[in-house]
Amino acid sequence: MAACGLFRSVSSNFFTVLPLLTRSATLSPLRLACTPYFGRTLSSSSRAAAALKFTDKHEWIRVEDDGIGTVGISNFAQEALGDVVYCGLPDVGTQLAQQDEFGALESVKAASELYSPLTGEVVEVNTLLADKPGLVNKSCYKDGWLMKMTIAKPAELDALMDEAAYERYIRSIED
Amino acid sequence: MEPARGGITVRTAGRHAPPSRLPHRERACSPPTAEFYCERFEFPVVRWRQSAVKTGNTCDVEEEEDEEKQQWRRPERRVKEDRQFWMQGSRPVVEVVRLGLVSYQEALRLQQVYVNRHRAGPAHALLLCEHPPVFTTGIRHKPYPAAMLDRLRLLGADVQRTNRGGLITFHGPGQLVCYPVLNLSDFKKSVRWYVCELEKTIISACRRFGIEASTSPHTGVWVGDNKICAIGIHCGRYVTSHGLALNCNTDMSWFGHIVPCGIEGKGVTSLSAELQRDVSVEETIPHLLDAFRDQFNCQLTDGQTPETDQDTAQHHQRRD
Repeated sequence: MAACGLFRSVSSNFFTVLPLLTRSATLSPLRLACTPYFGRTLSSSSRAAAALKFTDKHEWIRVEDDGIGTVGISNFAQEALGDVVYCGLPDVGTQLAQQDEFGALESVKAASELYSPLTGEVVEVNTLLADKPGLVNKSCYKDGWLMKMTIAKPAELDALMDEAAYERYIRSIED
Repeated sequence: MEPARGGITVRTAGRHAPPSRLPHRERACSPPTAEFYCERFEFPVVRWRQSAVKTGNTCDVEEEEDEEKQQWRRPERRVKEDRQFWMQGSRPVVEVVRLGLVSYQEALRLQQVYVNRHRAGPAHALLLCEHPPVFTTGIRHKPYPAAMLDRLRLLGADVQRTNRGGLITFHGPGQLVCYPVLNLSDFKKSVRWYVCELEKTIISACRRFGIEASTSPHTGVWVGDNKICAIGIHCGRYVTSHGLALNCNTDMSWFGHIVPCGIEGKGVTSLSAELQRDVSVEETIPHLLDAFRDQFNCQLTDGQTPETDQDTAQHHQRRD
């Protein structure tokens, strides 16, 4: 502890001269001094884990900085479906109201409907899924995204479940 | 001590009655007799009923349901044991509707009627029918251009695009077509599970005929390399439609004009072909219903055959 204090006083003088040394030696006491560095790390990590909101139909939507929401299905849904062999997705420009059917996923000879989490317009559809529908199973939160849409009514987003609430919801229906 | 018989009524638990939840240590032991239970516990006997059902004891001791006992009941939250109890004590009721020979469009219209009934609460139905010759495709359109479908129409069959899963298949006289319109909330909310249960139902029905059928990586029920039953489902808001088609004494030559379900190198068969005798749809229905009841652990009731409506043009489920 004393050594830390000593280090802190020493390193604060040498911060600009020996930045590598101070960062590696005493990370926590220097957090305030190194705020710009750590601030960048924190904000980039929170962007990567941008909050997913879930519907009770096991779809997720992630809102990017530009106000476009990316939509996909949750891990629970892809497991319940089985191996997806076909993704029927809407055309770009389709206007969707919340809970509108916007497409279907086919697996094990069963076509399951997809429901829009919010009101908005389809701006992009994941064309990779035409050739590789299995991405929905392998990477349902990243590469297996289904479509991107504008968000006409941001208030609807607040009514969706966050990750913790969704976990609770899954546990309550899993029997 | 008063004998337990007399003056104690068990209220038949409806589907929505939340079972009472006793502390874990008490749930662990199962009372051997009703007298023991009544001495020990004051309030209703859901737990007793559980053990009675498990041991098959159909003792008709009754117990009064008291309003103040409601406070002992846990708020309605479905947990695993509760659901098993509900399934044992009150299995989902599925209405069996026999449509006879109906056109494919008519059957689609009726399916939609039964699907819409689910909006007001679970109303499971099982539609049984036969169709005049018809080829149907699923949501995957690309393998079946319009020219190909026109060629099939020239054979004298109807051709329909549908919103079910699966590729092209044939329905015709001699084939038992079964459309379970179930709300999976009362069973298990997994389409994969549902399709698997349908396959097991058919395998069980075939076994009752003495036929060893099996599943394969391709959905459907097979006898060796030949498919005896095709499956194609649609599921929206946990309500299922479309279903399965089991060949009883179907004319197999129709299948020669397509690659059934898009699977090359495999054939089709029927109950009649396997047993080398004529097996009609009427003969198959009771076996299928028994297998369905056992596999889905439900109760079957006879439903009213609805009036068929000739004007079906606006009710098509076509997806173009």
